[in-house]
Amino acid sequence: MKQQTELTDPELLRLMLSGDEEAFTLLYRRRHSSIYRFALQMCGSQQVAEDVTHDVFLFLMRDGQAFDPARGSVSSFLLGVARNYVLRRFRSEHSTVPLGEDEDDQPFDPVTNEPGPLDDLTRAETVDNVRKAVLSLPERYREVVVLCELQELSYVETAEILGCAIGTVRSRLHRARALLLTKLRPIEDAELTSSPAVESARCFA
Amino acid sequence: MNCQRFESVAADLARGRMMEADVRNEALAHSKACQPCALRIQDEEMLTRGLRTLVQEMTSIEAPASIEADLLKAFRQPRAATVPLRAKTNTSYRRYWLTAVAACLLIVFSVLAVRWRSEKVVDGESAKNQATPEKKVTVPPQKEVRNEEQIASNPTRPKPRRKRQFTNASALAKAQGRQNDNVLNHASSEVATEFMPLGYLNPSVLQDGGQIVRVEVPRATLANFGIPVNMDRYNERVRADILVAVDGTPRAIRFVQDKRLQ
Repeated sequence: MKQQTELTDPELLRLMLSGDEEAFTLLYRRRHSSIYRFALQMCGSQQVAEDVTHDVFLFLMRDGQAFDPARGSVSSFLLGVARNYVLRRFRSEHSTVPLGEDEDDQPFDPVTNEPGPLDDLTRAETVDNVRKAVLSLPERYREVVVLCELQELSYVETAEILGCAIGTVRSRLHRARALLLTKLRPIEDAELTSSPAVESARCFA
Repeated sequence: MNCQRFESVAADLARGRMMEADVRNEALAHSKACQPCALRIQDEEMLTRGLRTLVQEMTSIEAPASIEADLLKAFRQPRAATVPLRAKTNTSYRRYWLTAVAACLLIVFSVLAVRWRSEKVVDGESAKNQATPEKKVTVPPQKEVRNEEQIASNPTRPKPRRKRQFTNASALAKAQGRQNDNVLNHASSEVATEFMPLGYLNPSVLQDGGQIVRVEVPRATLANFGIPVNMDRYNERVRADILVAVDGTPRAIRFVQDKRLQ
């Protein structure tokens, strides 16, 4: 007979639903960190991430029967539930996200103050800037970046979680990366395009 | 490879995702030859590095242990709480289902009732239609003239004016009596021509019975049957009885006039 640590997620879920506490503990320990990180990367708030993680596993206890192995893995199922809770939070309290979607096209201040490219930044600054840039993305782009880039899921898994086509995931990721580059690109490029010389030239024109 | 094609694979190239070897080699060759694409792939690689740095930084992040403790507490205790919650959900769903089923049943019964009523009406009409040819009796509303002697021997009674059909002998006899009374009334107050055939008339057709229908026709119609027409009253109408066979074909016509006008 298999030990519980060797059991797959669906098997653990089945045991958990039949009341096996150990199976629940094992499943939680296997999956809670990805759920927590996903919520944290999406919201930028530890409190919200904790609440979402708690709600996701409460949902699993109550409505775990809703999981359909034919539609994806347990991990994808849990991330899908987490996404729904996160989006619900966004709709109920818009102030959770520190940077609004209105600032999409504006360069991100901490980065724009830096003279060099990304690889010249220190590691801590890089992490902070990238994290803020991701949080500043619109929801539909942010979730794709979080899932594909930060959770390192495949396009197929991401499409399962988001309930959309793989092509949609690819196009959103492409657009999201372009937005991130715009936010993280040094300010010099923007300054060159809006230099006084150019303005005066346009005035003479 | 051109720049547009390169743009579509730049992100995958920078992320180190699996792709066809030919495409990868072509993209790398293009980035060496094309300065803007070289900068593009450089940006993508920097972004990828930044994202991976963030991933590495967050790898060690986990939810607080208090969440696990809370969930375990909920897992041990909530059977009572969870079950009612689910039961409540089921009840609400059951209510919707019951409403939907009741609505469907109502619709089905309504449709069946309407169909049953329409079929009943159709059956009644078809029964009447079947009964009529067997008896071969259709009593005209008023003025069927059959036998002058019989007309003369019957007493005068008030006349019903509605067209009626009868299915048994006693009713038929009563109807004939009433009809003859009507005819007598008219016969006493009207003068009429003989029936004149409308086209070729096989006398055997009339033996199957028929109806006499009172109509009004233009006075000019008289000329078609060789009857002289007063041109001063050319635009007026004149009454006529049309003998209609059982198949609905008009077979003969006679013209009628009040005695008082004669």
